[in-house]
Amino acid sequence: METVFISKLKPFLDAVAEQMDLYVPKKSGEHYVFSGYDPASETEVEFNNIRTCMPIKEFLFPMRELAAVLPERLEPEEIKPFAVFGLKECDLRSIEILDKVFAEDEFKDPFYVRRREKMFIVSGDCSEPAESCFCNIFGGQGFAGGGFDLNVARVNNGFVIEAGSEKGKQFLDQHAQLFSKVSDELLAERDKNRAATKQQLEQNNADLKFDTPVKEILENSQDSEIFDVEAQNCIECQACTRVCPTCHCFYLYDTKQKDYFGKMKMWDSCMRMAYAEVAGGANPRKVLGDRIKHRLMHKFAYFLDRYGIDMCVGCGRCVDADAGGMDIRVVLKKLNEELRDKSKAKVAK
Amino acid sequence: MNQNLYQPIKSEIVDIIDESPTIKSFVVVPETEFKFATGQFVELTLPGEGEAPFTPSSSPAQTDKMEITIMNAGRVTDLLHRCSKGQMVGIRGPYGNGYPVDEYVGKEVYIVGGGVGLAPIRSLFLTLVDRIKDFKSVVCRFGARTPEDYIYKNSVFGSWQKIDGVDMKLTVDKANGDWKGNMGVVTTILDPADVDLKNAVAIVCGPPIMMKFATLKLLEFGFKPKDVYLSMEKNMSCGVGKCGHCMIGKYYVCKDGPVFTYEQIKDYPNIWD
Repeated sequence: METVFISKLKPFLDAVAEQMDLYVPKKSGEHYVFSGYDPASETEVEFNNIRTCMPIKEFLFPMRELAAVLPERLEPEEIKPFAVFGLKECDLRSIEILDKVFAEDEFKDPFYVRRREKMFIVSGDCSEPAESCFCNIFGGQGFAGGGFDLNVARVNNGFVIEAGSEKGKQFLDQHAQLFSKVSDELLAERDKNRAATKQQLEQNNADLKFDTPVKEILENSQDSEIFDVEAQNCIECQACTRVCPTCHCFYLYDTKQKDYFGKMKMWDSCMRMAYAEVAGGANPRKVLGDRIKHRLMHKFAYFLDRYGIDMCVGCGRCVDADAGGMDIRVVLKKLNEELRDKSKAKVAK
Repeated sequence: MNQNLYQPIKSEIVDIIDESPTIKSFVVVPETEFKFATGQFVELTLPGEGEAPFTPSSSPAQTDKMEITIMNAGRVTDLLHRCSKGQMVGIRGPYGNGYPVDEYVGKEVYIVGGGVGLAPIRSLFLTLVDRIKDFKSVVCRFGARTPEDYIYKNSVFGSWQKIDGVDMKLTVDKANGDWKGNMGVVTTILDPADVDLKNAVAIVCGPPIMMKFATLKLLEFGFKPKDVYLSMEKNMSCGVGKCGHCMIGKYYVCKDGPVFTYEQIKDYPNIWD
């Protein structure tokens, strides 16, 4: 599709912000977070070389929202179009995963669907993968192959912007005066950068190799003690599920307001002790190790069985956020090694 | 179908029936027509307080109102038990698969139920009885802690026993001198001699511990895991296979169940907990 060049981000972002609310990455300590774009601000928007610290699901599936009321009915309101700049490939793939649950399933979540329809996605190539990034293990490459309206790649003296949808192409056409033609040299530079990022990812994760698909590793490790052992590093802070861009557990709870009764929908975490408990106290996953196992099974086996895709994009946010020191990469690696040892022992017999 | 799947239909409790010391049936009239298949469940909202899943205990043939039998077992059910006639509630659903009644045609339907598990079974029973000639027979093996704890006493102790094609045996864990029936847990009245194994399906619904031992007993008789239908109780919040709470392995109990064959779920851990 159409590809153009622009030397500075500001005119481009201003043009987006003229049409809709725009969210951009902003440095907060070591991390990036999304915040509203202010064209009048003196501070220039920084092109984020890496994903933000909070997941993109916040824009589509907020932490808490009113889902229903009584005695009247609540039908979802129309949403104003909005744009998010600085999503990474892992974010786009997480949207693909959430779409399966909330937008493409026979039961559609109308709040999600409305936001999704109105979201204008401006993604960006990664250039400095973090130590915790492991997207390449789960099909990632550090730049988006699709799923965006526009994609921005930083090159030496500016940015290469590519349209990935009709909406994106329209935007480029409407604002043709902002952009110049992209030269073959610039495209070559972009592709070189991409290759370098990919190589960096592969290097960083060189020791994260699995002998069989992760689904099989987990399915063959149901009796492993590793889940309980690793649970000793988990302090049940639930941060992994909050920052995970694909985790989508929620619960509904009821509230009393002055004029109505509200039903709220709020993020939940399968790592929480009482998560699966029923009235009377029965609970199939009382033990923390069982909850960790269930979460991994959901990500790499159950979701795959149901929707044909892993429920992990390898963004590594859970690795960064974990307060206790549990690392999903380490757990999977240990399980892989345990199985390898077992099969070696079998052969030796 | 609601455009907003989280929006309950405004409904009214028009009658409340005391079934046992801990169990009441609520007759609920939804504002708009509400149809369900037997074994499907609904999410019942007590506005401002909470929501919980229940399988209606009335026949699906009755579409103007439905009955929901509820044991006082937790915060929401306790509040429901304190409600009076006229209380506004909300109903979402129906959700899940229900009992595949058409697959039972020509067969002996062997129903094992206990305690408040008789609620979904009542709906199934009424559905079967409506077309009783379609089935070889309907065998009921019910249990409760004491005679007092039986729900639907008039039906279970009386009218249901007299229906042609129905074979019913009852037991209680404990009883005083007036009880003429069997004493012991429900597995004590399960007898392979009563079952035509080649041509039977079993339905089990009750407290988890009873379901576990009844299922194991039925398998011992020679029932195949695919012929044992279980109505699973899990923490079902959204009802539409998204929120994750009710998962047993890859299944969402709310969407893929709540009725499962034992074959489907037998290999997953802690299904009875």
